[in-house]
Amino acid sequence: MTSWVDAICIIIVLLSLMILSNYRVAAMIRVFAAQSFALSLLPFFLRTSSISSQDVFLALITMIVKAGLVPFILFWAIRHVSMRSEIKPIIGFGASIIFGAMLIAGAFWVSLSLKLPDRAASDLVLPCSLSTVLLGFMIMVTRTRAVTQVLGYLIMENGIFLFAFSLFDVMPVLIEIGVLLDIFVAVFIMAIVVNHINEEFEKNPACVDRSKMGETF
Amino acid sequence: MLTILILMPFLCGLGVLLPVSKDFRLKLFVAASLCHGLLTASFWKELPASEYNGFLVLDPLGLILLSIISFLFLSVAIFMIGYFKHEPKRNRVFIGCLLFLLSTMSLVAVSYHFGLLWVAIEATTLFSAPLISFHRNQQSLQATWRYLLICSVGIALGLMGTFFLAIAAHNVHTLLLPVILKGASSLSVNWLKLSIIFFIVGYGCKMGLAPTHSWKPEAYGQATGMVGVLMAGALTQCPFLALLRISQICNKTGLTGFYSSILIVSGLLSLVVPAMFILGERNIKRAFAYSSIEHMGLLVLGLGLGAVGLFGSLFHMINNALAKVIMFLTAGSVAQKYGSSKTDDVKGVIHIYPVTGVFLIAALLAGTGVFPFATFHSELLILNAAIISKHYFLAAAGIICLALMFIGIGKIVLGCIHGQPKEPLLARKENIYMNAAIATSVVLLISIGLWMPLPLGKLIRNAVTLVGAV
Repeated sequence: MTSWVDAICIIIVLLSLMILSNYRVAAMIRVFAAQSFALSLLPFFLRTSSISSQDVFLALITMIVKAGLVPFILFWAIRHVSMRSEIKPIIGFGASIIFGAMLIAGAFWVSLSLKLPDRAASDLVLPCSLSTVLLGFMIMVTRTRAVTQVLGYLIMENGIFLFAFSLFDVMPVLIEIGVLLDIFVAVFIMAIVVNHINEEFEKNPACVDRSKMGETF
Repeated sequence: MLTILILMPFLCGLGVLLPVSKDFRLKLFVAASLCHGLLTASFWKELPASEYNGFLVLDPLGLILLSIISFLFLSVAIFMIGYFKHEPKRNRVFIGCLLFLLSTMSLVAVSYHFGLLWVAIEATTLFSAPLISFHRNQQSLQATWRYLLICSVGIALGLMGTFFLAIAAHNVHTLLLPVILKGASSLSVNWLKLSIIFFIVGYGCKMGLAPTHSWKPEAYGQATGMVGVLMAGALTQCPFLALLRISQICNKTGLTGFYSSILIVSGLLSLVVPAMFILGERNIKRAFAYSSIEHMGLLVLGLGLGAVGLFGSLFHMINNALAKVIMFLTAGSVAQKYGSSKTDDVKGVIHIYPVTGVFLIAALLAGTGVFPFATFHSELLILNAAIISKHYFLAAAGIICLALMFIGIGKIVLGCIHGQPKEPLLARKENIYMNAAIATSVVLLISIGLWMPLPLGKLIRNAVTLVGAV
């Protein structure tokens, strides 16, 4: 089972790197959906004993919310708007990858000194989750489009979830669902705000620079 | 009882979303706030029993916060009766979000499980975000966006802290507060330290402590006065409850020194930063937002300074909330009358609207902590705690920053009060509801400044014992 958990952890980090190096928003959302799908498989492989109905339930809920509803809302947010591609990231794509690699190295280095209690399923859980959180952070601060910033936030949340799944007998399932629900509502409200921002842009004829559409600052 | 307290506003919120008349929505909101207030008042007599296997418990700390929330919503509800008379806008989403906010904030006050606490605090962020862009324009949407993103990320770090706490508490297998406190000796200290750092960064971001305060002037500057009250008085004090809960754990595990030092540093930073920015500010609401950062800094500082400071902090929670009612409701009332809250547009308030002018002076005095307003006493208690614990430099820096804030806010407010209005304004009469809401808080804040009622003193002392600070 550990090899499966390892594989999922590595896939999640690689997919975050892929989002970091991508510039088409729609592709980024698809990669995010794939990442969330990989994440939602994790509960099946964590237990050495048989899989309980709780695990299945949690996996299904995660799958529906993170790999289904959230990407759907994000696609809805970009549908009416001409902001299909990230035009001017603050750091170029090549440099982003190098920085991203450095962040991953840093995350692995930090987690050397953090010792998880023996229950963790795999040694890779902590460094991979930290890397994903950091990569999410980086996407958020280096991209200027509203939707990409939301994606950065979601990747960060995925990193936190990767970590959370490995210790979820501490958290009752209801609370985990509450967390998921919060994230869902957050994305929903963010999508609405993005839409309103764009409507305001369109109302204002002085702002003809369409390449600036969907930028937040 | 606690379930009713949370569910009642939530159901009313759902009711508001239905296609009903504007007046009915407003009435429902007033009724819900009133019921919430009565329920909370009944808890002062006797604390309700815990519910859902100890997930929902109301203790003295929670009661302080719950009373603040209840009172603020009631004041805002009364103010709104007057405000919406002159406001043609639709209020469906606005009042719906207010009611959901009331429900989730009550949940924060009574949740005893760190996971549930996180869920509730994040939910308060989400339901308050649409309130900021009530006057929908580019600036307010940008402010909403900034608030949503910064706070969501901050709170995500709080979630990380919650999971680190779960690792620290892996021997007790739960995040229920009493169980953690009972098994405090078996907590893993290193993970606990890590989780404390994440908690302070995450929840501090939500409180608007420097250096993660940048959403505050934007959001408060764009939001209507009523939303400003709820955000500055109640919403930002909700994460402070989380910090108090962590303080309970730290005091049991001997990490008090570690926790206090971080709190003192971030508190001091939150005093210095607004004092630097206030002097160049030219907008009443934004100035009051800086004052809010400063008050949050004082709360955190008090928590870091032991039992005396903690008493001051808890007292300051109440005073800060009342002061914010006076400040932001007056600012909202001024902004509605003048159509702006910039100092260049608002002139001669006291000549045209004498009552609002007096309230504006009261807002200045209450917000900057001048006798006889009770904010004076709580600030004095916190500074006193700094001197008792031999942090002389800290006390001196605190006094200088408070003085700078007084100068900064005084300049702005007095500039608005005096002077000749540029053009004849639409002579709107003062509204009795709006003024009554503000006047109640002025009277309350002065009276607890002159004499602290026995039940209040007892409640705060109980809360201090509960935290276990020495």
